[in-house]
Amino acid sequence: MKQKQFEIQNEALWAQINALLDEKNKKKSARSPAEFIEFPALYRRLCQNLALALQRGYSPSLTDYLQKMVGDCHQLLYGTMIERPMTLHRWLMNEFPQRVREEWRLLLFVNVAFWGVGLVVGLLVWFQAEMAYSFMHPEKLEKMRQMYTSGAIDTGRGAEGDFAMFGMYIWNNISIDFRTFGAGVFGGIPALFIMAANGLSMGVVASYLSADPATRHNFWSFVITHGSFEIIGMLLSGVAGMRLGLSLISPGRLSRRRALYAASLRMFPVLVGASILTFIAAFFEAFWSANPVIPHSVKYGVGALCWLLVIAFLIFAGRVRR
Amino acid sequence: MLNGRLSLITPEGVRLLLTPAGPAPRAWAWAVDFMLYLVAISLISALFNQFDVGKGIILISAFVLYWGYAILCEVYWDGRTLGKRLLGLQVLRADGLPVGWRESVLRNLLLVGDFLPFFYFTGLLCMLFDTQFRRLGDIVAGTQVVYRDPVVLRPTLQTKPSSETATWALPYALTPEQQRTLIAMFEREKSIPPARMLELANLAQAITGQTGEASLARLRACVLKWQE
Repeated sequence: MKQKQFEIQNEALWAQINALLDEKNKKKSARSPAEFIEFPALYRRLCQNLALALQRGYSPSLTDYLQKMVGDCHQLLYGTMIERPMTLHRWLMNEFPQRVREEWRLLLFVNVAFWGVGLVVGLLVWFQAEMAYSFMHPEKLEKMRQMYTSGAIDTGRGAEGDFAMFGMYIWNNISIDFRTFGAGVFGGIPALFIMAANGLSMGVVASYLSADPATRHNFWSFVITHGSFEIIGMLLSGVAGMRLGLSLISPGRLSRRRALYAASLRMFPVLVGASILTFIAAFFEAFWSANPVIPHSVKYGVGALCWLLVIAFLIFAGRVRR
Repeated sequence: MLNGRLSLITPEGVRLLLTPAGPAPRAWAWAVDFMLYLVAISLISALFNQFDVGKGIILISAFVLYWGYAILCEVYWDGRTLGKRLLGLQVLRADGLPVGWRESVLRNLLLVGDFLPFFYFTGLLCMLFDTQFRRLGDIVAGTQVVYRDPVVLRPTLQTKPSSETATWALPYALTPEQQRTLIAMFEREKSIPPARMLELANLAQAITGQTGEASLARLRACVLKWQE
């Protein structure tokens, strides 16, 4: 069959498909199903057209034209996003705690890196206060001390100040989670380093401020509540990042590419959970922890409850598959 | 992938041809997006700096724009940020379908890894060693960046041959591949300078027995005959 005949024979089909593609590009949601019900059949005929055109050696302009149309149709037919309204819920309530429990060894390791370093440095500073200055700049420590001295913290920051700090915590803390995860791909070492570095500065500051009775309770009542979400969120993003890096080091029976891809699929719910925990922490840190009206005892109580809740969630949630 | 195109076989038995995009256009797209980010942030800063709550708003929008802009664009806008749109690029999954939340989030967070140790060095190295120009983030998320095919218009061959050339026939039959080459030349006629067309027609003297305009007319007649 000559190319002209072929084109005349199939012109109507191509016009029909092009009309459907145009309509799809114009408005994505409002699709009349009656027209699209025959789309798969039209698409299969188009594929046959392309195969014939290639086999019969029709001109490049025609085969390119059909090739492009086939590509667009493939996207429309198979690329339709399936509505999965419960995905986020399933990720958070089931897969997030399940994956965390599966990675308990890594979690333990990351905990040791964070709390271990924090504890060692904290004890060092506790017994030899001048050691604090070898880990942190004296000016910075002095600023910390002033921040938690009764005069400053009792007045609070006001609603505007709280909101500004809320923005600060979101920008800063969730970005740290993301960076921990992203950089973790290098064998997990950057993630581990970030954990240890955070443990170190927490140890120094906590120990330094606890030694001074003027700042002791101001500091601990401030950090205890949001610390539950923030520290656990950070540790979990560290676990996710390290798992990514470890899959590169020891991919098992997969190729390294495949192992990376598989690890990222597995760790994605953990990453989402970690960033949501950090987001919750930003709320508490901005609007609860710094509130001067709430007495210390209430803050300690709520803080302890938050720690228990987060840990209990990670231990017990998602045990029953629905 | 001899011609630089990646071919995926679909269930219908046809091939999807994708053209992976290299580091240079992707770097330009990134630069455009980054400039837009800077402009947007300085606008927002100028607008909200005078209010007390402004600092919070600035920081939150910085967060959303920094991490979320590319993800939202890729998920809701055919896998293309404004920079990619300008450069004609598109993010697709490895199987040629549009990216979802997971793929987009992973590939954009892994930019941190690609950035290390300085200015996307790892990403560039990774792209240069990968056959599909994938950076680390693309490998982790299972995505790729490809050129978007331009809209193809089918040219129609113009001018009927004169009666004299219409009856003329080639001394021997050309192979299908040779025929396609000749047809492609006339389909691209509008983008080829006339002098160049004549030059090409001169080259065909061995089969047309003529030079210049006459040779061109004979070739055109052949092409029309093959197609109709």
